[in-house]
Amino acid sequence: MVGRKKLWVKILVILILIIGTLWAGFPILWMMLNSFKPNAEIFAWPPVWISKSASFEAYIKIFHNPEQVRFFINSYVIAGIVVCLTLVVGIMASYAFSRFNFRGKEFINTVIVAVQAVPPITLLIPYLSLIVALKIYNTYWALVLTYLVFTLPYCILMTTGYFNTISRALDEAVMIDGGSRWYALWKVLVPTSIPGLVSVGMYTFMQAWNEYLFALTLTKTNEMRTVPVGINLLMGQHAYEWNQMMAMSVLGSLPILILFLFFQKYFIAGMTSGAVK
Amino acid sequence: MKKTTLMKKLLATTVAGIMVASLTACGSQAPAAPAAEAPKEEAPAAAPAAEAKEEAAAPAGDGVTLEFQQWWGVEMPDGALQEIVDGFTAQTGINISLLSNPYADTKTQIAAGASTGTMADVVGLDGSWVYDFAKQGAISNLSELMKADGYDDSQLSDQIKYNGDTYMIPVVNFAYPLYVNLDILEQAGVEKVPETWTEFLAACDKIKANTDAAAYCIPLNTEAPNGIQNQFMSWVWASGGNMLKDGKPGLTGNDTVTKTVELFKTMYDKKYLTDGVYALQEQDMVNEFENGRLAFMIDGVSHLTTITNESPDLKFTVAPQPKADGYTGKSGMDVACWGIGISGNSEHQAECMQFVEYMMSPEVNAKLAQIANAFPGNINANPDYSSNSELFLKAFDLWNTCYAINEFTGAPTSEDLMRSFNEELILYLDGDTATTDDMLANIQAAWEEAYN
Amino acid sequence: MNTANQTAKIRKKITPYMYLMPTIVLMVILLVVPICMVIKFSMLDEAITSKAPSFVGIKNYVKVLTDKNFWNAAKNTMFFVLVSIVAHMVIGMVFAMVLNTRYLSSTTKGLCRVIFALPWMFTASVIAILWRLMMNPSGIINYLIVTLHLSPEGVDWLASRSVALIAVTIINIWSGYPFYMISMLAGLQGISTDMYEASALDGANGIRTFIHITLPSLKPILISLIMLDFVWTLQQFALIWMTTGGGPVGSTETIATYIYKQAFSKYKYSIASTAAVLLLIICIIIGIFYVRHQRSEE
Repeated sequence: MVGRKKLWVKILVILILIIGTLWAGFPILWMMLNSFKPNAEIFAWPPVWISKSASFEAYIKIFHNPEQVRFFINSYVIAGIVVCLTLVVGIMASYAFSRFNFRGKEFINTVIVAVQAVPPITLLIPYLSLIVALKIYNTYWALVLTYLVFTLPYCILMTTGYFNTISRALDEAVMIDGGSRWYALWKVLVPTSIPGLVSVGMYTFMQAWNEYLFALTLTKTNEMRTVPVGINLLMGQHAYEWNQMMAMSVLGSLPILILFLFFQKYFIAGMTSGAVK
Repeated sequence: MKKTTLMKKLLATTVAGIMVASLTACGSQAPAAPAAEAPKEEAPAAAPAAEAKEEAAAPAGDGVTLEFQQWWGVEMPDGALQEIVDGFTAQTGINISLLSNPYADTKTQIAAGASTGTMADVVGLDGSWVYDFAKQGAISNLSELMKADGYDDSQLSDQIKYNGDTYMIPVVNFAYPLYVNLDILEQAGVEKVPETWTEFLAACDKIKANTDAAAYCIPLNTEAPNGIQNQFMSWVWASGGNMLKDGKPGLTGNDTVTKTVELFKTMYDKKYLTDGVYALQEQDMVNEFENGRLAFMIDGVSHLTTITNESPDLKFTVAPQPKADGYTGKSGMDVACWGIGISGNSEHQAECMQFVEYMMSPEVNAKLAQIANAFPGNINANPDYSSNSELFLKAFDLWNTCYAINEFTGAPTSEDLMRSFNEELILYLDGDTATTDDMLANIQAAWEEAYN
Repeated sequence: MNTANQTAKIRKKITPYMYLMPTIVLMVILLVVPICMVIKFSMLDEAITSKAPSFVGIKNYVKVLTDKNFWNAAKNTMFFVLVSIVAHMVIGMVFAMVLNTRYLSSTTKGLCRVIFALPWMFTASVIAILWRLMMNPSGIINYLIVTLHLSPEGVDWLASRSVALIAVTIINIWSGYPFYMISMLAGLQGISTDMYEASALDGANGIRTFIHITLPSLKPILISLIMLDFVWTLQQFALIWMTTGGGPVGSTETIATYIYKQAFSKYKYSIASTAAVLLLIICIIIGIFYVRHQRSEE
């Protein structure tokens, strides 16, 4: 009886896996296949699955263009700094929200939720004036600070959520043992929430990596620009470099993929940390 | 113990604070002299920054550096535009720093820059942007600058004006002829390229009956509603019609426009058009043509090279656009241009004008036109097209038999005008609007709002 | 002794603010100030485009709220947001649960985790281009539909006024569910295995375990996720703009595309700012509910 039920569940699980793989993976597979095709074949009907004249030409072109390599470097540097700053600043704020009651808490919390509501398009012009006034137009800092404030609310809300799933008894125990709050936060709360923080960090990284509108307008020269702007650079007024665009997207997502693979263990490791209570 | 805790916390907060402060500080030391062009009323910090730029520029001799923001560099072969501006530096000692981005990105940047003072000194402009930027005071009055320089403006093929003054000069022009896929015509049994609307519809009918290809395409995606300008209004202009009357919307009771709407209704109802035109962009239309699935399209000459390169086996030609039956006069040919203008915030208006004059000088202008596969904006320029393709020369001959026209150039919020036309056209094609008169009356009302 | 006590009290009071200080400084300078400027614009006539705009009070609000295009956009946005959130949550949760079962080897799980998270890794413009390519009338999706005999004719995904909104919603669902999946996977790791074992000993079946243990444990994260997703989907712009541009005839117009057209096509920044402030007000209300909820949880 139990065995048959298990089998049934197993079949269901495998079915979901197959559907899920098709749903999530097919568009990406299609994109990868297209990145190897010459431009004209991308729109052929019936579709060409694997091009006879498949080549790495699009990829080689990217690596041989110092400007495009520069986009990748800029994206790494900016996204990396943003993740570190967001996590540090966000964890501190989340700790306050999760473990304290103080005057103005609700107000600040509401503001943090609400400020995300204003569409970046409308913020663009006032924001640009501000960046110019701060004299950081066309620098890394313009983008770093922008992404920092755009990712902070997310980081704070999510991290507060993760901290709230952790019992207060845990850090209180540390403090009774004579540890400081600061110590409790960084040595107990943070390590316990690693899976959550990793996912927050990765999401932040991706936000910074993928943002386009501000990357375009807060910088002026291509030396300061990032991968999404570089991808759009391939969309001329008259001709799209489809295969290079696809190739650049594939390359652009690789580091994120690698990060994800690298941090996988945190998703599994958490499984046995039943001590958390 | 507790004191150290407090200390630690204080320390941490201070560190974070310093971090933030230093970020801002570092930023301000960055080498780009960022706020140089900020308008004074917007940013109080602008003045010292401008001075800083002055200082930085000083050691480079007379080396003023002008920024030139455009999308042309992306469209031309690598390094071609750089070579042309290097010639200017060699002549005058004024440095030009190119900021090349795609068309749409350039537009966003200029629109944002117009209101915050971050616009480059010299900018590439599209005719459809001029009215709004000029009204906003973001671009300089070129009539004044030309007068100050004693520049002879009779050599310019055209000038785009706002309130009677010039704000943009077209540097090179791109004509929009009819592209014809000869293989499809042969397969469909169409003997010659149609010259009148009746012949055109007859050809469409044969193509529909005998091939899998679509006959015509108009991209109607609302993101970039240029289809109305290039693939719809071009039919009106080719038959001598106009959409404006004395510079104001003149759609109601407009015979040519009415007939053109009917033409499109016929094409739509008989399914001569590509599937899914409502979501297509100009680029999709070109892709359809390249893949041999489209018999006719109206498209810029700038696409000639791309199409030849991407589909070397495609047999196609360019031809004059069919005219309404009975029209024997001269045809207007739709034209798009790369225009040039000067930022109202630039500190170096005179130098900017010098650069504009350089770009418009017969030799440079001819070279630019030759490389960009375009027609020159200076009437004295004689481009050497000997290395351009045969088809291009054919298009050039066509161009010389027509007069250039684009009534959206210099119109207020032209993109929005096209968009409202676009939506009404779809409603009419779908049968939501009963008559052509109703449709045109709706558009007329929307357009008049923009003109007031 | 007494003073020491007092300092301790004050210290306790200011501690949370010290933890919050960097956040507050950053947000006030870089977000609150620009937002206040947007609010100011919404009460001016011809903001930005005119050198001397005049104050018009709530006139712009009246204009926006009586604009039928705005209400059409609001209706579409509502559909887009609600369907997206529900689908994100269901798909994200199903995948997270499946990836968390004991029935699979860790290699399979690892592999699927990566594949399922793939849509997460692409910038919006690429997603838009990719799906436009696939949803093209002669694109791969229609090809599969026709060759697999699912339908004799392809679907006009983005070109049909009745299907386009559904099509862009599908694209948004595709690009957004991994956010839930990853966050919930992370959340699931925090649930103690003891609790599952206890529940298994009680003879609870899978569904009951899910309702009584998994869901309540995930609730704090889930609430944050839904709220963030709501706020983000509400202003999703790039995906819609780059696929349909809000068309055909406003059938995929959302408040975000409405705002963009007002600002960059009609150059009416005041109207754009007004619509943005309306979104802000909606989100403040949502924010208040969220905070209330947080409080009642404590």
